[in-house]
Amino acid sequence: MVEQETNLPLRLLQQLARGGIRSTADLARSLGVSEGLVKLMVEELARRGYLVALGGGACGASCAGCSSAAACHLPSDPSRSPGIMTLTPSGREKALGRS
Amino acid sequence: MIERVSSTGALTAQTVPDTRPSLRLVPDAGTDGDSRVASHPDALTVALVGQPNVGKSTVFNMLTGLNQHVGNWPGKTVELKTGVFEVEATNVTLVDLPGTYSLTANSEEERIARDFLIFERPHVAIAVVNAAALERSLYLVAELLALDVPLVIGLNMSDVAEQHDIHVEAHVLQAALGIPVIPLVATRNEGIRELVRAAYGLAVQPADFRPNRPTIRAEHQPILEQLVDMLGACTCRRYPPGWAALKLLEGDSEVTREVQASAPPALWEDIHSILLKHEDAYLDIAGGRYEWIGRMVRAAVTAPRAGAITRTDRIDRVATHPVFGLLLLLGIFGLAFGLTYAIATPLSEWLSGVVLAGLIGLAETVLGGAPAWISGLVIDGLIAGVGTVLAFLPILAIFFAVLGILEDVGYLARGAYIMDRFMHLMGLHGKSFLPLFLGFGCNVPAVMGTRILEDRRARFLTILLAPLVPCTARLAVLAFLAPAFFGASAAAATIGLVALNLVILAVTGIVINRVAFKGEQTAFIMELPLYHVPNARTVGLYVWNNTASFLRKAGTLILLASAVVWILSNVPGGDVETSILAAIGRALAPVGELMGLSDWRVIVALLSSFFAKENTIATLGVLFGAPAAGSALATQVAAILTPGARLAFLAVAMLFIPCVATVATIKQETASWKWTAASVGLLLIISLGAGVVIYQSARIFGM
Repeated sequence: MVEQETNLPLRLLQQLARGGIRSTADLARSLGVSEGLVKLMVEELARRGYLVALGGGACGASCAGCSSAAACHLPSDPSRSPGIMTLTPSGREKALGRS
Repeated sequence: MIERVSSTGALTAQTVPDTRPSLRLVPDAGTDGDSRVASHPDALTVALVGQPNVGKSTVFNMLTGLNQHVGNWPGKTVELKTGVFEVEATNVTLVDLPGTYSLTANSEEERIARDFLIFERPHVAIAVVNAAALERSLYLVAELLALDVPLVIGLNMSDVAEQHDIHVEAHVLQAALGIPVIPLVATRNEGIRELVRAAYGLAVQPADFRPNRPTIRAEHQPILEQLVDMLGACTCRRYPPGWAALKLLEGDSEVTREVQASAPPALWEDIHSILLKHEDAYLDIAGGRYEWIGRMVRAAVTAPRAGAITRTDRIDRVATHPVFGLLLLLGIFGLAFGLTYAIATPLSEWLSGVVLAGLIGLAETVLGGAPAWISGLVIDGLIAGVGTVLAFLPILAIFFAVLGILEDVGYLARGAYIMDRFMHLMGLHGKSFLPLFLGFGCNVPAVMGTRILEDRRARFLTILLAPLVPCTARLAVLAFLAPAFFGASAAAATIGLVALNLVILAVTGIVINRVAFKGEQTAFIMELPLYHVPNARTVGLYVWNNTASFLRKAGTLILLASAVVWILSNVPGGDVETSILAAIGRALAPVGELMGLSDWRVIVALLSSFFAKENTIATLGVLFGAPAAGSALATQVAAILTPGARLAFLAVAMLFIPCVATVATIKQETASWKWTAASVGLLLIISLGAGVVIYQSARIFGM
């Protein structure tokens, strides 16, 4: 068994704890892995509760029944896109606790 | 259990006995690993695993032809397909496991696949993997390798991968994984014979199976071994101890439950305390797995040829560049306004000049005999107000079309990305930015979007910022008046006003950031979509939905507000100059004077924007008289204001107190009249302050 020098999911969380909007391509570059792997990690970290998808959550429910809901949204506004994720408090704790 | 049994036809030249595995999902004695070491087995069981839509069924059909049995897994609704074929005079029963992305027991499919591999112990498993999504496929392979079932890989969908410029080298992957990797074109039956031969080879020589498995950190290795020893001491549903130990450390709920239920209480206590102490092991195990996937991908996938960088990458070099990206964004903004002035303004003039005048003429004829107040209300109130607002329908349509196209092309996500960097430089919190970005469409979702902020104070302060984002209604008012106000410099003045708006937003944001967030940073991960040619239907639908929604607003809120404005401008005496509205406007004149807005009608127009931002125009239409509606209206308003006052008027209109819908949302979201009042107060101060500063500075420069 070879010891891992770095831990990819942890590094991903740490990158996020620095702030800003990061594209998956950009994260892949800075972690030195493929974009497909970043997406895979993001999904698992979300299942584990370290990341949370903002998709549909930002205002989805509260817009129900509003007549001008259609006017409020861009065709697929960023907050409704399933591709947008952010750190949860436990993800932040993980990132900061071991950095 | 078996619902349907397909024809047992003779694609392979043998009669087909019922060789389906017993499909028991609980183990019975005597199915230990040793029984699999058979040099010349009479019958073999092979499991077929893979993600959904990876070509697994094609492989299954190619191999078993019509010798298939289709039913259900015992007690489940998931379909069970088994079939038989012959290789080297050995009957092989092929079990097509449900398509899964992992073996974490998240779904019934995953549980079935995992339980079959663990408890039924097939002699060998064939994993069909997708070359175009190799990382995801290898994730499943990593989980399969943790089980003790010999594995061969069929590398399918290489053609799809090639289309995306991904080249997977099967022999390199085979060397890296340490297990057979056979390239397949399942649909053309290519490679399937080799795949079967490799599977048979492993089945008769299981000792040849020496895969390169994912590793975990050295610090967790002794703990893993300790758990393996402890699990070896208990029966624990006959999970392989090594695998169960790994799953316990990962926090697999089903394995944890099973071990807890079957282990003696004292043993479980010990196991539990180890698990509690090493809660962080999950990230290490996952890390080891991803590290392993990364290594395999690096080894086996050749990077796109030099120079053959994808179109999206090429465009993104400019579009997401910190400097060029921002310039491009500003350029696109300018282009959108330029387009609006070139196309929509003449259309809007035509609408107000020809169509609206025609409508007024028609109404005058129809209402010839009606009482004066009715024709006044209809012609000077409703038609002048709503009609004028409708005249900027082309402006809005162009806005929506530009937004729709930018979104559909995939640019808008880049816009958010670029703006975030810009905001970041100014110290604005990334998490606040996202809801604010929504504000460009409408401030209401921006206020609601602040729900993503957990911190109450941060959230409320972001709500204060939301109305400072120029919404489409305000941009439309700006676009409607700017050409008449500034002539040839309309585009420059518009960009200047929008920029001023954004600077005020950023400055307020910096102050709020310092106060509320204390430098704490949170990031978003955003999947930037690939650029593609916009779809006319998507864009058209978007324009239509938004335009229809605007028309509804014109037919309700703006109609009502126009009627109210007309009535207030006609009571008590029927003379505008002595009306209640005039009195209100004149009372506010001293404030207006400071901004060069000495005409009370202009002040009332600003006030009426509270109902809906478009009402600024509707009210001007009512108060300046219907026949002069449309672009002539803008000219008429321009005539009574100095250039400095025009700039001040538009700046105030852009920054003025939010519309009633936004205020109501602020009240609903903050559940506090104090915060709602603070929002209205803040914007009143900012807008009037900006108006005064602009007008007074303009006066100094002699404008």
